[in-house]
Amino acid sequence: MPAIVRSNADSTPQKRRLRSDAAAAQDSQPSIPVKWKSPRRCTSASPNCPSNRAAIDSSENPGKSPLKKSPDRFIPNSKWSPVDTEQMRAVKEALHVSTAPSTIVCREDEQRRVLEFCKVCMEQEKAGSLYICGCPGTGKSLSMEKVKQLLVDWAKEQPDVLSINCTSLAKTSDIFSKILGDAQRRKKANGSTTSALQQLQNVYSQNPLSSAKKMMLIIADELDYLITKDRAVLHDLFLLTTLPFSRCILIGIANAIDLADRFLPRLQSLNCKPMVVTFRAYDKDQILTILQERLLALPYLVFQPQALELCARKVAAASGDMRKALCVCRSAIEVLEAELRKSSSNFNLSTVEKALFEQQTTAADILRKQEIDVVRLDHMVVALSKTYRTPIVDTIQSLPQHQQIVLCSAVKLFHGGKKDTTVGELNKSYMDFCKSTLIPPVGSMELSTICRVLNDQGLLKVGQSRDDKSKRVTLRVDEADITFALQGIRFFRNCFQQFCSKHID
Amino acid sequence: MGREKAAKEALNLLRGRLCDPTFVFKPLSDSPESNYSKLKFIISSSVTDACNNSILLLGPRGSGKIAVLELVLKDLLLEYPDMISVIRLSGLLHSDDNCAFKEIARQLCVEHDLLFSKMASFDDNSQFMIAMLRECGLAHKTIIFVLDEFDLFAQGKQRVLYSLLDAMQSITSQAVVIGVSCRLDADQLLEKRVRSRFSHRKLMFLPPSKEDLQRLLGHILSLPLDSTLPRDYAVEFNAKLQNMLADEKFKQTIYTYMNSDATVNHLLRFLFRAVSYMDLGSGFLALENFKTALPNIQRQPKLECITDCSILELYILVCMKRLEVKEQNLYNFNSVMTEYKSIHDTFQTSDYYARNVCLRAFEHLQQRELICFTDNRGHNQSVEFRPVKLLISSYELQQGLKSYRSCPVILLKLMDREA
Repeated sequence: MPAIVRSNADSTPQKRRLRSDAAAAQDSQPSIPVKWKSPRRCTSASPNCPSNRAAIDSSENPGKSPLKKSPDRFIPNSKWSPVDTEQMRAVKEALHVSTAPSTIVCREDEQRRVLEFCKVCMEQEKAGSLYICGCPGTGKSLSMEKVKQLLVDWAKEQPDVLSINCTSLAKTSDIFSKILGDAQRRKKANGSTTSALQQLQNVYSQNPLSSAKKMMLIIADELDYLITKDRAVLHDLFLLTTLPFSRCILIGIANAIDLADRFLPRLQSLNCKPMVVTFRAYDKDQILTILQERLLALPYLVFQPQALELCARKVAAASGDMRKALCVCRSAIEVLEAELRKSSSNFNLSTVEKALFEQQTTAADILRKQEIDVVRLDHMVVALSKTYRTPIVDTIQSLPQHQQIVLCSAVKLFHGGKKDTTVGELNKSYMDFCKSTLIPPVGSMELSTICRVLNDQGLLKVGQSRDDKSKRVTLRVDEADITFALQGIRFFRNCFQQFCSKHID
Repeated sequence: MGREKAAKEALNLLRGRLCDPTFVFKPLSDSPESNYSKLKFIISSSVTDACNNSILLLGPRGSGKIAVLELVLKDLLLEYPDMISVIRLSGLLHSDDNCAFKEIARQLCVEHDLLFSKMASFDDNSQFMIAMLRECGLAHKTIIFVLDEFDLFAQGKQRVLYSLLDAMQSITSQAVVIGVSCRLDADQLLEKRVRSRFSHRKLMFLPPSKEDLQRLLGHILSLPLDSTLPRDYAVEFNAKLQNMLADEKFKQTIYTYMNSDATVNHLLRFLFRAVSYMDLGSGFLALENFKTALPNIQRQPKLECITDCSILELYILVCMKRLEVKEQNLYNFNSVMTEYKSIHDTFQTSDYYARNVCLRAFEHLQQRELICFTDNRGHNQSVEFRPVKLLISSYELQQGLKSYRSCPVILLKLMDREA
């Protein structure tokens, strides 16, 4: 391995695998990871890995699922030892959102369609436009990166590629200058007053010079940032592909399914609506497949299969967002780490007592006895509840008493179907409550402070008014949540029972 | 040194401590379940594992979110001296994307000793930030973004949040985004694209439990034994303090105070007041200090107003209350006078004044804002005919009468009858 000169080489701890190392190692060792010597050498999970093997597979047949191999290929050779920081880091890296897997599973069909479209355009030297839509976290940008790579590899003459995220544009019309490119922009500086858009339109409407030009692939991410009031920019962008001598293949990515219909009606009349490819939300099996594929690179069993399945099921039912699934898995690993730390601190306490009597056992032995070496179902359940449960009930239960009383009186006021009231009414209701329960109420200044605090926390919404007493108040939280949260407290239980029975009457 | 001198020094020490948030939050951070340890673990594991992370700190104002964050950052900067740089943004100042990117670029330049140009455009600033993230990623430096008032960043198009979180999706950057907000539903305010990229970790800052409260009080108010204060004085002070903390009445006072707002900041304000009432002669804190501080900090301005009123003014207020109870929604000075006369006739009171004297008292009440006119127009009408209403509640009026130094018994009886 070539020596790499780094500053602070002594002071940085060598826990992390340095990316600069990995980059150098790649050139010198195009190893095929058959023997699992150590996770440090395991290159198939890292994005810098020699993707030759994987690329050859997918470039030949993007349609064939690499999971033709049966799932029982997923047989680990050794046990995972979570106290080993190197292994823990490898696991976390394999599950991180930013780690792009070398093969993108479950999106082969969509990738194939896009690739076919681009290939046809390039072969016929025609322009075309494509619109890709889907919920966040469904793999759109990731797949487009892959398609870009495949196209560049396949084409005989390399097309120009412009990959742009529309949120980074200061003005929406800047996209045309970006398409025009630096060279053309400099040419413009000698006195001409045509805008970038006009220049592009000129270039694409003229004849022979442009036929010698290369094809251009434009990938515009987060297309809805280009939507202006008159939708001019979006229309002009798509209309560029309809000009007679246009050479660009435009791929737009956004979340809305009907963006093409709603914002580009004129294209329908010109008969050049973009082709739409929808990336549907992942279902349970797809999420499970993707997670397993990511963990395939690790030689040890990290998750119990039921835990992974529960995670896939829950996330698929909620949103089908892959980022969420990865986040929940990482969360489950952290729950495991927390349990480890707690048990090792208990262990430390007990060794002091037992040191005289029993032999010294190492931490790893103790852990093996307790079998904390795999993420179990209960860890996953904790991680899922942390992600999906709102902290509303906990917060309401931990509020100080007078704030709870104010919330309760608000619930009482709104029970009859009213949706908002004033601070003055709330005050009266609060005083009545305090009188009936024999608690001394706070003064009106304190009460308006309490209302303001509850407004800051997002539980109440207090409007603006010159007069303090006539500010409008609405509940931001569901009544059922408040009732549920406060029912455990005997003090409030009677109150709720009272008006629940009144309601029935 | 003399007892008084020692007491003064102790007082200064305690007051200094109460104004220093890092001192106050230290004992709450000792247990492994505390927010301090959880936050520290998340950030330090991101730094050592070189991965990206995002987290939200939620809790009411004054519960110590920024204080705990500063503690964690201070400790981490000591542990990993060259591997962390911190960028601070505030939702009040930087919610507009131009401002935010400019500020990020400026702070990055200051951290790394580069020249910052005020003429740089929005494009330049965002390119600079992405380039710096990449460079720092290669150099294994983690950039920590602290976004204060996070819910204000979620207004408008949320461009700043999107760019930051999107930059973290790439493998080349190493960043941690920490959002601090007092809105519990801050993550519901995010757009779905931004929410998908945010990692959903939340740390709730709940009010301290009763045991934590006791520990906190003991930690803040105990004098150190190894300082310039005389040792025996400090020992005696601490012993008296422990006795007082275990006293039920003291606990009741504290719990009553915390019943309206249970954040640590609120408690510190009360402690400052109470400690300032410490008797410098004896040099010890006593329960009376706390009991005196309580009404001084929970002031009721309207009650104080009532104790300054004259007897005639009190009569007028009680008459208005009676009219309200009789469900007369619109009444003016003339109806109040009628009521006043009827009371005088029924009970034969000695306080019966002429009409113009009553009018003067009425105007005094209106100036002091204990009553007001219900209509905004009608300045043409004279004062006697405009409808009025009371601005204090019957409970406050009752309390005020009870604490009045020589309230006529008849008024008390009338109020009790109404209640």
